Amino acid sequence: MDTINLSGRKPAPVPIRAGAGLKPQHYQSVIENQPDVGWFEIHPENYMGRGGPPLRYLERIRQDYPLSLHSVGTSLGSHMPLDMSHLKQLKILVDRFEPGLVSEHLSWSHGYEWFTHDLIPLVYTPESLQLMVDHIEQVQDFLQRQILIENPSTYLQFKESEIPEQVFYVEAAKRSGAGLLLDINNVFVSCENHGWSSEAYLADLPMELVGEIHLSGHSIQQLEGETLRIDDHGSPVCSEVWTLYQQFIARHGLAPTLIEWDNNIPEFPGLLQEVTAAQSLMDAVVNKEVKDVFVG
Amino acid sequence: MSLLAELQRSFCDALRTSEPPDPALLDRLPNDGLALQRFQVYRNNFIVLNGDAVADMFPVIKRLVGDKAFRMLATAYVRKHPPMERILLLYGEAFPDFLQSIPELSGLPYLADVARLEFAWTAAYHAADAEALQVAQISGLDDSAFSSLRLTPHPSIQFLESEYPVYRIWETNQSEDHDEQVSLDEGPSRLIVIRPEMEVEVREVSTGELLFLKHLHASVTVGEAYERTVQVEPEFDLQAFFQRHLLDGTFCSL
Repeated sequence: MDTINLSGRKPAPVPIRAGAGLKPQHYQSVIENQPDVGWFEIHPENYMGRGGPPLRYLERIRQDYPLSLHSVGTSLGSHMPLDMSHLKQLKILVDRFEPGLVSEHLSWSHGYEWFTHDLIPLVYTPESLQLMVDHIEQVQDFLQRQILIENPSTYLQFKESEIPEQVFYVEAAKRSGAGLLLDINNVFVSCENHGWSSEAYLADLPMELVGEIHLSGHSIQQLEGETLRIDDHGSPVCSEVWTLYQQFIARHGLAPTLIEWDNNIPEFPGLLQEVTAAQSLMDAVVNKEVKDVFVG
Repeated sequence: MSLLAELQRSFCDALRTSEPPDPALLDRLPNDGLALQRFQVYRNNFIVLNGDAVADMFPVIKRLVGDKAFRMLATAYVRKHPPMERILLLYGEAFPDFLQSIPELSGLPYLADVARLEFAWTAAYHAADAEALQVAQISGLDDSAFSSLRLTPHPSIQFLESEYPVYRIWETNQSEDHDEQVSLDEGPSRLIVIRPEMEVEVREVSTGELLFLKHLHASVTVGEAYERTVQVEPEFDLQAFFQRHLLDGTFCSL
């Protein structure tokens, strides 16, 4: 017999479609217009109040769309133990909203009594790899589900790092049983900032571990003749990142793809335009595969 | 201390201060001539990300002091009171007291109270939800039963008293395009901030109403709260108060 779901809502996997980061500015527009977006993603920390409108809007939107929880507060790479009270709050949201995906970052934000609320790079050593693996396993055990780990955008690296970032990233996922949330903008930003090759970074990633892709805009800071790219999620996806994305999905296949836009947020149609652009590239891969089957 | 612990602590130290970072920290970065600039991106992020959270919470303060001064205040606040929680929803709780402590702001003596009102708004917004009191729950009660009730105000309720007209200052600064002047002679404010459903309401109340609600909030019975209120405020009109507020979401379901 089927279980009775009192919320009238099924746990929904995140579909292999383009989705969007859900911003409070867009709650009304999403509820009223039911835009053609495959799914939405939120930062659970923004819904950890005791109550109030954000949770109610999310309940309403979750009735119509699958959801992904993209956490920013766990600080998996911190040398300090994980905060169980924070994990409990995360679990409450996971149980309440039944997201199709849950993710965190390959970074740390908590190095002291206080919190930076920024995603700061790790030193890539065997010690920190083991720490990441332990922390990811703890989170997965506690939530009773797999999580995805996002590669960071970085502006500096440490001399003490012994392991290339993408090797560290994939190893952390493989050893812990996590999946990858591949942020192609972050790949581009980090590679440009450190003189690495984005193509080489992406070429070796095991697609079977990629559970989600992120795309977003970044800004450019000129410094004494040098350029630093800053991952500020404040503009449309740039053409280089679209190209990397297109090449990646053509070669490796599709994954649910999110447009993140967190600063200088446009009206919803502006965000939808980016989502539609990502969806078109995904559709083109599917259409080519179909054509190849029939023609080839 | 492990390498990781030591590195993370020294990184955090360097993020928080406005002093140049420890050269030993910069020495750990590849020597490409941009080590300091690379580090500065993180210092800037720390200030801006957390400062933006403060700016979002205090839009009226930002209008009153101007964008540039607000950014300086927010930066100083982030350095002095870095976030102590993983959740930023209520970061800014110490901002009103912080404003009060700044000597350069002593010419704007109402500023801290306006900030208290803005924080009360945010606290009410994210407070717990509760079912509202329904008419059927009290319609059958006689006077004596009603008098011995403990009516609980909605968990979002915030109380604010100020010797300045902060409600008028707050109200006239809700948008950029205002040219109305508020005179400090308009006198003190007594306010409750409450969110019965989705909308936060800022209500001006009388001294008696404020006192009465505070007693109810402290779980005193209706009758006892009334007795205590009229001792201080003999004109307090219980009937008029309940006509307006008994069933408007001010109180929780019994």
